Amino acid sequence: MSNGTCVKTRERVPAEGAQMSLQGALRRSFVALHSQRAVWRSVLEECDPLMESLGNLGEQMRALSRVRVSDTPLRVFPELQERLQVQLLQAADLLLQRLRSRMSHLQSVRDAISNQVSAVLQLYEDAADSLDLAAVTQRCSVIPSLADMLAWLQDAERFYKQQFLQRKTLLQTLRLDDLSQLESVFKRWKILESPDSEQEITDALCRLSFFMESHR
Amino acid sequence: MNVLPGDSSEVTMSSSNTKFSAVTGSARKIKDNAADWHNLMVRWDKLNNDGFQFATNIVNMKNSQKEHQPVDDFSSATVSQSFSPAVQQQTAGAAELQDECSKLQTVVDQMVVIVAKMEHLTAIQQGVQDLEEFQFGPEGRTLPLCHSWRTKEFEESSRVLLAAFRQELKLKQTVVQELAHTTLPDLHMVYLSCWLHQPFLPAQTRLTLEALLLETGHRPL
Repeated sequence: MSNGTCVKTRERVPAEGAQMSLQGALRRSFVALHSQRAVWRSVLEECDPLMESLGNLGEQMRALSRVRVSDTPLRVFPELQERLQVQLLQAADLLLQRLRSRMSHLQSVRDAISNQVSAVLQLYEDAADSLDLAAVTQRCSVIPSLADMLAWLQDAERFYKQQFLQRKTLLQTLRLDDLSQLESVFKRWKILESPDSEQEITDALCRLSFFMESHR
Repeated sequence: MNVLPGDSSEVTMSSSNTKFSAVTGSARKIKDNAADWHNLMVRWDKLNNDGFQFATNIVNMKNSQKEHQPVDDFSSATVSQSFSPAVQQQTAGAAELQDECSKLQTVVDQMVVIVAKMEHLTAIQQGVQDLEEFQFGPEGRTLPLCHSWRTKEFEESSRVLLAAFRQELKLKQTVVQELAHTTLPDLHMVYLSCWLHQPFLPAQTRLTLEALLLETGHRPL
């Protein structure tokens, strides 16, 4: 089939109309999701060096707390320990500011994805009366079923909601006076990555690639 | 890194700084002075970055030296050789370490030159101040040479900046002397922190320079 439409069965016209309208909305959502994922990934990549630097500052602060400056050649410098501590804290503060702004950006992406999904679900609910089980589970080689597509979309939304929540929590519970927590921040940040879930979304989008490109 | 966002370029004279197109010798001197201060600090920052790289290398070499300590080996094969491979490796390592230490020392030597120039700038500023007192009495001239600062304030800023850099230089000289002779990892880390974060050059120092540049018209108001 050159235009990728499914073989027609004997369906009620309203159901088919609702089905096509929903397919259109889903297609647009997946296209949007595809670009939003790219934005999310690039913002996340920006966070990595910031988190690493933060952990490094934690190491430096820890080393400073363990050294008795008066036992070292640095004893001749007045208030060295306090001054250095201030510099380290200021550097950490700056990093936190930058991380918070990246977090806002991640929040926008999460919200954009959520809004997309809500809109599609609303459309589905509005059309629910004219869509029976057959219509919702019908699929062909290039168009997955509505049920599957709605499920994948919701899975993606859930993933980004959870990711954002975990990352935001990590950042918010970070305390500059808890040095062991600070030192391990980069490791704890990286652990939040969920490559399996990411892969599932990638796989779904892969299955949808014909669908997303068709019906232009 | 304590670098002000946006400006790591050296300041050159421009005719857009119109308020002080060399009206009086003193104003010219103060303005040139401020530009020189800025340029010296930019050069200092670059040296600081270079030095940090060398200092980090020194610490890494010290750490790997510790890992490759030759273990007592009583096998006849080792005893018959004049140098075991581990010792040879240590000798090569020691040469590299010496190399990095020399590089770091060179950085500090260049910083000594910078501080000497800063002392010179401060002396010039003192000269301008003394001249003004001579011409106008202890109160100084009635109309400020620049936007709002009295000449005395330039002299005071110079002193503050000079004192900060002198102290920071002393600290760096200590770091160079001690870094390669320390074995404690925490102390290594503290020396590196001191070098990088420059505890005697807090943000206030940068702000003092900015104020100086604003007053003399190098920065737009």
